[in-house]
Amino acid sequence: MTIFSEAVLLDLLSVAILLLTFACLGSKLFDRYVAYYALQSIVLSAAIALVAYYLGAWDLWALAVITFLVKGVGIPVAIRRYLIIRLELKRDVAISTGISTSLIIGALLTAFAYFAVSPSSLPDGLIATSSVSLSTAIILLGGLCMVVRRNTVAQLIGWLILENGVFLGAIALVATFPFIVEAGIFLDLVAGVLIMLTFVSGLAHRLATTNASELRELRE
Amino acid sequence: MTLMLVILVCCLPLAGVIAASAGMRAKGIGVASAAGGTGAFAAACALAVRVLADGSYAAGGGTVYIDPLSAFFVVTVSAVVALAGIGSISYLCVEEERHALSRLQLRLYGISFGFFASLMLASLETGNLGLLWVLIEASTLASAVLVALEGRATSLEAAWKYIIISSFGVTIALVGTLFLYYSANELRLSPDQRLIWPALFGNAGALEAASLKLAFLLAVVGYGTKVGLAPMHTWLPDAHAEAPSPASAMLSAALLNTGMYAIIRFKALTNAQLGSYGNGILLVFGFASIAIGALFMVRRRNFKRLFAYSSVEHMGIIAVALGFGGVLGIYGALLHTINHAIGKCMLFLTSGEVMLRYRTTIVNDIGGVMGPAPVVGTALLLGSIAILGSPPFGLFLSEFTIVRAGFTGHAGLTFLLLALLVVAFVAFAYTTASMALGKEHGELLLPSAPLRFIGGLPLVVGLLALLLLGLWIPSGVNTLILRSIGAIT
Repeated sequence: MTIFSEAVLLDLLSVAILLLTFACLGSKLFDRYVAYYALQSIVLSAAIALVAYYLGAWDLWALAVITFLVKGVGIPVAIRRYLIIRLELKRDVAISTGISTSLIIGALLTAFAYFAVSPSSLPDGLIATSSVSLSTAIILLGGLCMVVRRNTVAQLIGWLILENGVFLGAIALVATFPFIVEAGIFLDLVAGVLIMLTFVSGLAHRLATTNASELRELRE
Repeated sequence: MTLMLVILVCCLPLAGVIAASAGMRAKGIGVASAAGGTGAFAAACALAVRVLADGSYAAGGGTVYIDPLSAFFVVTVSAVVALAGIGSISYLCVEEERHALSRLQLRLYGISFGFFASLMLASLETGNLGLLWVLIEASTLASAVLVALEGRATSLEAAWKYIIISSFGVTIALVGTLFLYYSANELRLSPDQRLIWPALFGNAGALEAASLKLAFLLAVVGYGTKVGLAPMHTWLPDAHAEAPSPASAMLSAALLNTGMYAIIRFKALTNAQLGSYGNGILLVFGFASIAIGALFMVRRRNFKRLFAYSSVEHMGIIAVALGFGGVLGIYGALLHTINHAIGKCMLFLTSGEVMLRYRTTIVNDIGGVMGPAPVVGTALLLGSIAILGSPPFGLFLSEFTIVRAGFTGHAGLTFLLLALLVVAFVAFAYTTASMALGKEHGELLLPSAPLRFIGGLPLVVGLLALLLLGLWIPSGVNTLILRSIGAIT
């Protein structure tokens, strides 16, 4: 095995995705959130393409292209145009936990993910063993983004990061996942984002804010 | 022929979508939804009869798969769709008359109601656990539109909470599905077969134990979010209270059951490989839900939230019954599923009729419904008695079965269950009795006579069905439940 085998490359790409998640967690500007998400999705599509090349599977090539077009370009552009520019979102002030605290929590979660799904506990035959624990960490960090941010747009991006983590886990763990199911997941994702876009802009009109912490009329 | 029925079941509810897209008014959309739902129910019954006669049906390599368990859930959910469809007629017509809903809103209602129903029924008809996930998530999206329909700030807020919490939860269920797929690594199945439930169940002994455990846990947490198991239930009261009442009926009586169906599928695989591993987990989540549901029912001011917490409680009871396990436990769980579905559907439709008359959901603003609206008042009173598990209604029988199942091995837990049921009973009955009986007060706006008739129809049908199920379990239902137990053990 050469040092630049597919497995090492896939691990490196996973690390890049994890770092971009941290970057998003450590940022306060809406522009950055979307940019990091877009970049992360593009790296994810490269990772999928790598696995597709390794396995010679046409459906994974298709998945890589769809990921690039939908997650890397379509969704970020839509969020930017319809939410960030239209609602004039700049700085995210509705963060419940300080940036440094949430970065520390994120580091702990990453360590936890590594021990919970440590590469040594996974059986042989995986393409890249570290990617599974890295994707677990990304899923947890996506959840953390949703928890510490109270702004609805930021929560939406947190969910999208979580979804990216699931996809990375899927290609690392179960690269042969049936294409029809993956296509269905994509359809749901797109429909979900569209509906959330409508809701958030609707919420903004009604409440003149997209801050979920002020969504407390339903407290009882 | 069977395939035809399968297609009819999941496509007939789309009648409402067609009517709405064709630009019909409230009456047309309502009647089309009701007809579609009733047709789907008839087709579902025919499908169940065929499955009982010919055994499980599979097509497309298991992509379409109907065994007695799916037939049972298809019948239950389509019954709810039919009742809620009929209930939609009076809701839409009255709100159109009062200009409370615009034409766009009417159209959105027809479209999302139809898609919601059809996606849920389709998810019960597939044997592919990946597609099951896709269809359940898609039905979440369709129903979120219904929650937001009335366009108040509170309903948008509830819809946002619903969609973000459910999507989060369901994504966790997707991770569970991935681990299940992974646990079938050793099975020498083709990739397309590795998510097909019957293929997995047939080889359950060879599933890899550690990842199967993880898959089950993640599925319970993920789909449990849809079921409304505590502590993942937080979206549920808001969404149920803010959605239009026929949609609340669908959420509570159909959507929650669809999530429970997914959990049952995962549990069957876990039981086959790991014995009673899954039971303890379901007991914990079940008891947490019953406790939260019962305690939050105490002195609720909003009666739709009261009904919603009662759904949390009942889903907890079903989870506990599954956790007790054994033939008796599963029998009780399935019987309770159909009873609760009919009872809660009918109660939410009743709440809709009350709201059409009083235009409020605050308990204290309503009193003596019995006087000006005897049918609605009676439905409210008897429906509450039924949902609380009193004889002679069906829920008494199913809760009794569950308690019996509990006493064979979990006596202490069963006493806890009974104590919590008493709390729920007092809290719930206190509130609804004061609404139905009590001194007459509150401003009243009666709908026209034909609408009152059509609005009362599903309430009476639901009550009669509950009474029937309490006095005598039809042999068809009994066989269907027993065969379902056979299919998953």
